Amino acid sequence: MTTIQHADIKRILPHRHPILQIDRVVEFEQDRRIVATKAISGSEPCYAGLDADADHAFPVSLMVESLGQAGGVLWLHSAALSGEQHTGTLIFGSARDIVVTGAAYPGDVLRHVVELESVKGDNAFMRGEVRVDDRPVVTVGSMLAVLRADEDL
Amino acid sequence: MTTAINQAKMDELRDIAVEVLEIEDDEITPTSMFIEDHDADSLRAIEILARIEKKYKIDIPQAELPNMVNLSAVYEVVAKYAGWQD
Repeated sequence: MTTIQHADIKRILPHRHPILQIDRVVEFEQDRRIVATKAISGSEPCYAGLDADADHAFPVSLMVESLGQAGGVLWLHSAALSGEQHTGTLIFGSARDIVVTGAAYPGDVLRHVVELESVKGDNAFMRGEVRVDDRPVVTVGSMLAVLRADEDL
Repeated sequence: MTTAINQAKMDELRDIAVEVLEIEDDEITPTSMFIEDHDADSLRAIEILARIEKKYKIDIPQAELPNMVNLSAVYEVVAKYAGWQD
């Protein structure tokens, strides 16, 4: 079983604090599947200034971003292991068929499972699921991550 | 090149396009332009291509993307790689 630690993730993804949204990779099958975790803390920027009476559910948008980043690691680390050179800016292209079935709160650990469906040039198609304690929270039927040259942005 | 249109196949391609472009069936025509008429961008285009590849289990070179400007053009490209003209 491969564990990819936080420092390694920073070598794979361009994201940095506070938008780097995965902590550790606990399972990695090249070109196929990844399991990554993110611990939610009450000190996340999204909770700054939030009133005690407010809903402290972790934003779905950030859960999907976090899931997408796990997919980015799966794609780019797989490519690197194959000796492929990919350059450009990593972009979250789209997410479709998002189903939200639960919520996550400070103290929870998100467990992302992402499967790589296909890669077409600098475009990767994936699907994934976010769980908390084996309880499904968000599923994404289709995600697209792309790399684009700076001059195309 | 012209290909005799198989309407059932054309309907399948239309279904893929309207889903990716997030428009209604009656908004698209065989010749309405994805980019100019339906606000598509390169991400939508690659999504349409990938869905077609998955559905028909074919491989379409990315170099064909600039040719896939509307449904008729998509049909021509897919027909070429799926062998529909045979």
